[in-house]
Amino acid sequence: MTHPSVLARAVGFTMILLSARRATAQVPVLEISGANFRPMPLAVAAPQSADDNARSKSAELDAALMFDLSASGIFQVLDRKSFLARVSEGLTASAINFARWADIGADGLVKTQLASEGQKIRAELHFFSVGTGKEEFKLTDSAADRDVRRLAHSLADALYRRLTREPGPFQSHLAFVRRTAQGKEVWVADWDGRNGQLAAGGPNVLNVLPALIPDGSGVAFTTYRTGRPMIFVQRSGGAAVPLVKSDHMATGIAFSPDAKRIAYSLAVGESTQIWVAQADGSGAKQLTDTPYFINTSPSWSPDGKRIAFVSNQGGSPQIYVMSADGGGIRRLTFQGNYNQTPDWSPRGDLIAFTARDERRAFDLFTVNVESGKITRLTQDQGDNEEPTFSPNGRLLIFASHRTGTSRLFVMNSDGSNQLPLPMDSGAYHTPDWGR
Amino acid sequence: MSPADAKAHSALAPSLLTGTRLPVGRYLVVSLVGHAAFFAAIGVFSYLHLGARIDLNQQPIKASLVRLGKPRDPKLLPRIPDAPKEEEAKAPVPEPPKPEEPKSVPMPDAKARPPGNADRRKQLLSAFNRTSGAGGSRTAKTIEELEGQTDGDPNGNSATQEGERYYGQLKAQIQQRYDVSQTIPEQERLHLKAQVLVLIGKTGEVLKARLATSSGNELFDNSVLAAVKKASPFPPPPEHLRDALQRRGIVLEFRP
Repeated sequence: MTHPSVLARAVGFTMILLSARRATAQVPVLEISGANFRPMPLAVAAPQSADDNARSKSAELDAALMFDLSASGIFQVLDRKSFLARVSEGLTASAINFARWADIGADGLVKTQLASEGQKIRAELHFFSVGTGKEEFKLTDSAADRDVRRLAHSLADALYRRLTREPGPFQSHLAFVRRTAQGKEVWVADWDGRNGQLAAGGPNVLNVLPALIPDGSGVAFTTYRTGRPMIFVQRSGGAAVPLVKSDHMATGIAFSPDAKRIAYSLAVGESTQIWVAQADGSGAKQLTDTPYFINTSPSWSPDGKRIAFVSNQGGSPQIYVMSADGGGIRRLTFQGNYNQTPDWSPRGDLIAFTARDERRAFDLFTVNVESGKITRLTQDQGDNEEPTFSPNGRLLIFASHRTGTSRLFVMNSDGSNQLPLPMDSGAYHTPDWGR
Repeated sequence: MSPADAKAHSALAPSLLTGTRLPVGRYLVVSLVGHAAFFAAIGVFSYLHLGARIDLNQQPIKASLVRLGKPRDPKLLPRIPDAPKEEEAKAPVPEPPKPEEPKSVPMPDAKARPPGNADRRKQLLSAFNRTSGAGGSRTAKTIEELEGQTDGDPNGNSATQEGERYYGQLKAQIQQRYDVSQTIPEQERLHLKAQVLVLIGKTGEVLKARLATSSGNELFDNSVLAAVKKASPFPPPPEHLRDALQRRGIVLEFRP
């Protein structure tokens, strides 16, 4: 007869149900946010080459790819000295001993293979998840022999996009100023400062404050070639020509993100005001009108509707924001007494700037455009200045004096992972990161 | 059949041990049907009411632990409190108590060990202390340099305190170990929410931690479970929460 045991089981079941109900009825919920987003530990195996020509190019591709991935902010690229796997280990999941990669702490594994194809180099990049021991995806690309660094940037961009679903910043360009014994030159290079080309130079001439044209057609800059500062533009294949035609001192050009308008400063008498004009310099219009005060360093919002700038109308240089027709001027920073060189993030939310703190150190900060909240990015690492956002708004390049001379560094937009750009020795400053 | 036999028979009749057919069968059927109906009703009731065992709309507790220190002049630019400093790295760390070693037992290892090893052990231990959630190795100097409130907690990470202090301690301890992979796409991060039900014993140990609601992203789910595991054990719960935390637990609602 099963009746008693059925009853016992049923009673037990009821009690479980009731207790489960009672247990979860009054459970408090504690909210936890503020995750520390940490870069994925990534092992990047040395590239394997199918032939001698590919082998001769592999070191260059490897160096560029390693730097891109190290600076990306989403990876912690592991030191190859720690690798336990055989150098000749294959490129398929079945040939890989994932335990050896897990032992060194890798979550992701990248393997590349290069091969020559006529005058081109073809690269295959395999991305493996070490935890699951599976190949997640494969990327294939090719480029001319001499463009092997660009091939690396293209692969890095594709990997970045594949994982984050956002465009990577590694095929973009960087303009900067190189200081020489004779003067200052404007250069345009790949994002990492390599493959540089001189855009404006000349003995005993200062060329400063470069701004890449957002459509990629050239670079504009402030030059002292005639004695007083003027704004010139150098379009690819042409000679540098004046862009802003004015009898006054014009400095600090910035292009609107659609490349149709420019903003710059004109110094008249004791005051300096912000002007805007069409991209060819026509239709100039004065935006700020504060006699005896200085308004400089315009930077456009990504939608082109607002302009951030520096003004001392409140007594000390501070970051201000106004609409692109000059209305609605609003002071954005109220901390510190020497805030300058704003750069509006392409993501729109932040403006990065240089500030001098109470210890008289120049450091980088961001201010939230809506809330006005200021976040510090650099500290106790010499003077750091002139931040410029990557086209995707995730990274910043800036000039730092931490090694003695002024060099260019890249970091995440929260200030982490500060790395020097792999540039030849020299003194560099005033970077402008464009597309 | 004698009257005595008949009496004996009737005495045996109600016993279930005999195989005799009795009207109890009818009651059995009624009882079974009744029980079946009762449990079916409970089943329906619990299905309807236990479906949302954790009320997603329940107002989460907000708790933060105020840091010990002096408030910073609001006119000054902010400083990064956790910036690595050379002084801090070199600061002497209190030596952990060494277990008594019986002298009679020969210790060949101790003699064979090169002299540098003791220092290295200290370094490793100090590194461990620095990264451990307890924060016990923070020197008085660094505490002074942090801004906070004069009645704050050395492990606090907020400028103002709100809510139950113990929950603030839990939160602060878990947040220190709340690491998530940067490769999770940002658009996805906005929607990520995972809930972990945790039962906490009276000494602060985690009795049970299970995923109550998945975020839908495996990488994130694993990260939050790992955060609870790495952050435990927690401080012993105060008297008034001890019973509730041990039996009913607490739901930790993780968002990036």
